[in-house]
Amino acid sequence: MILSPEILTIYILNFLFFVFGLIALNLSVKIYLKYDKNSSEPIQYTLERQSYLASTIIKYIFIVKVPLFLFFIFTLDKLSNVLSGAMCGAGVLDATDYGTMLITLKVLNIYLFALWLVLNTEDVKHENQPYIKIKFALFIVLFALFLSEILIESYTFYNFEIDKLVSCCGTLYSSTSDSIVSNIFAIDNKILVSIFYANFALITFAYVFKSKYMYAISNLLFIVVSIVSLIMFFGTYIYELPSHHCPFCYLQSDYYYVGYLLYALLFMGTFNGIMVLFKDDLFKLSLISNLLFVILVSGYVVVYFLKNGVFL
Amino acid sequence: MNKYINLYLLEYSINSLLRQKYKNIFITTILTFLIFILSSMFFITSSIKNELQFSVESLPEITVQKLISGKHYDIEVDRVNEILSITGVNDATARVWGYYYFVNAGVNFTLVGIEQFEKQYKDSLQNLVDSSKGFDESNAYIGQGVKEIMRKNYFKEYFNFILPDGSLKKINIGGTFKSDTNLESNDVIVLSKENMRSIYGMSEEYATDIVVKVANPDEVATVAAKIKLLYPDTRVITKNDLKVSYQNIFDYKSGVFLALFIVSLFTFFIIVFDKASGLSSSERKEIGVLKAIGWSLDDVLKEKFYEGALISVFAYLLGVFLALGFVYGFGAPLLRDIFSGYSELKTAFELPFVLDVQTMVLVFFLSVPIYIASIIIPSWRVASMDADEVMR
Repeated sequence: MILSPEILTIYILNFLFFVFGLIALNLSVKIYLKYDKNSSEPIQYTLERQSYLASTIIKYIFIVKVPLFLFFIFTLDKLSNVLSGAMCGAGVLDATDYGTMLITLKVLNIYLFALWLVLNTEDVKHENQPYIKIKFALFIVLFALFLSEILIESYTFYNFEIDKLVSCCGTLYSSTSDSIVSNIFAIDNKILVSIFYANFALITFAYVFKSKYMYAISNLLFIVVSIVSLIMFFGTYIYELPSHHCPFCYLQSDYYYVGYLLYALLFMGTFNGIMVLFKDDLFKLSLISNLLFVILVSGYVVVYFLKNGVFL
Repeated sequence: MNKYINLYLLEYSINSLLRQKYKNIFITTILTFLIFILSSMFFITSSIKNELQFSVESLPEITVQKLISGKHYDIEVDRVNEILSITGVNDATARVWGYYYFVNAGVNFTLVGIEQFEKQYKDSLQNLVDSSKGFDESNAYIGQGVKEIMRKNYFKEYFNFILPDGSLKKINIGGTFKSDTNLESNDVIVLSKENMRSIYGMSEEYATDIVVKVANPDEVATVAAKIKLLYPDTRVITKNDLKVSYQNIFDYKSGVFLALFIVSLFTFFIIVFDKASGLSSSERKEIGVLKAIGWSLDDVLKEKFYEGALISVFAYLLGVFLALGFVYGFGAPLLRDIFSGYSELKTAFELPFVLDVQTMVLVFFLSVPIYIASIIIPSWRVASMDADEVMR
């Protein structure tokens, strides 16, 4: 266990989120079970007022959670100096059994919280609040996920051992059979890159025809395809090193923190892309973010080729 | 930008804050004070840590100590030659150093032994040897803190070391020893190795430890492993180990401080919660009027959050600003004593300026979200009051 101020801060905020989350959960369950917009009893009036408290709490958690997520990644990078063997966040996450699960849950929760926010803004726009039950049902599910995130996070931080040797990202993301990404190494890079650009073409196509469902689905797919191709192909051009496949190292200062920009663009693009299901005016923002993402990662490849005359 | 921030509402919030002057000044003062204490603490830590990391940087890559029954013993000087023959090793020096307890003042001096025509393992020592006056083997060169202690005890020109057999050894003071950081040189006395050995009663064949220079940083781990294999009775410490343990020590120190500080944060939470819950009659009336002219629950809530954000961000900026002035401008009186220890020979170190963005982010997370959280429920209570109820 490491008693560093960063980790303590995360603990304190998690505790705060947990307490407020419980309040919101309690209200959500009540609203979900009892709310009836056609009834005019006093309890409905109370419930409606309570729904404001619940949504304020959820908004609050989300607004603090996003910068806290960046802070979390930053903390991981800092801890990688302390744990022997780790060189970036990947090694730190590998120090305990649930590290990979933790980061996946964190990303998933941010998407879901953001989904909740969009539902909420759409909901309060209409007088009869069409999504009120759905949004509080969603929060009940979300709370379960959020709670497991907090628990796993505490478990992870509690079980760090300073003198235990952990793996570095160079071995975790290598092409040997026991690495965590060994399965995707089976895919040929040419195919992968074709899929990546084809997927982006599909997004553009769906944008031109303003097809909501196609746009959302292709964006959902784009999350996975982008991350896999970042690890497999584009990442190596950022590092200018054919054997380095780490999705964490470009978050460090050596690469001018470009990772934060990359992931932020990817999130803006794909999240808004999925949200077009509820809100029409997000098409443009989503496409621009996705386009910037594609230009940025392709830029690394083009610049490398122009400098060296060969591909990696 | 105006899509997200309603400037009229912001103006209203500022006016609303000013209407409740005393209450808000009270809360802002407490919050500013908490942020000030917290960030001063972190600034001092990061400053000292930086200074230590800096002095570690000037050390040789590997230190070899001999262990017998888990305790540190003197190491054979011959081993230097064996270590020098390992590929990748640039230089290896047997060091003679230790502590000397000066009973009259109740302090420990750090004695460092050097040889004039040897290559020194540290720049500060090399500077001493190369200085225009030169290094006289029979003299002692003392740090600033040592000089003052000695002057108080009337040792101005020489100092009497008490040898293991009880006899006295008089050594003249040749001058002061300076280095880049005060932390490093304050309690140091530099002597020749010969004098050191006679003070400690150590024979010629032994030294305190061996430091090894390795040119290529990538080879340090391999060289360290080779030395360990060559001499299994030694403890091999690399520069990186030292850095990690410094980081751990300071993380631990500020971690303990923060853990105790949680109590204050919690108390603050309760105070704000309480203050925000109690409304004066004029405030009630205000909410009633707002509701009556058509403000919704959401609008009132939003206005309350603008107030909260204004107070907390203002207090944060003020607190951090004051802390910067306190730590780097005035050298953090009182607070730094926590770190400098209780020894008589306190190192009168300077706090070099390090703009630690990470600390600022940390303090931000510990102040603004906690303040906002404490006003959520009171604000909602206020906002959900009915117009007729409060106007009555």
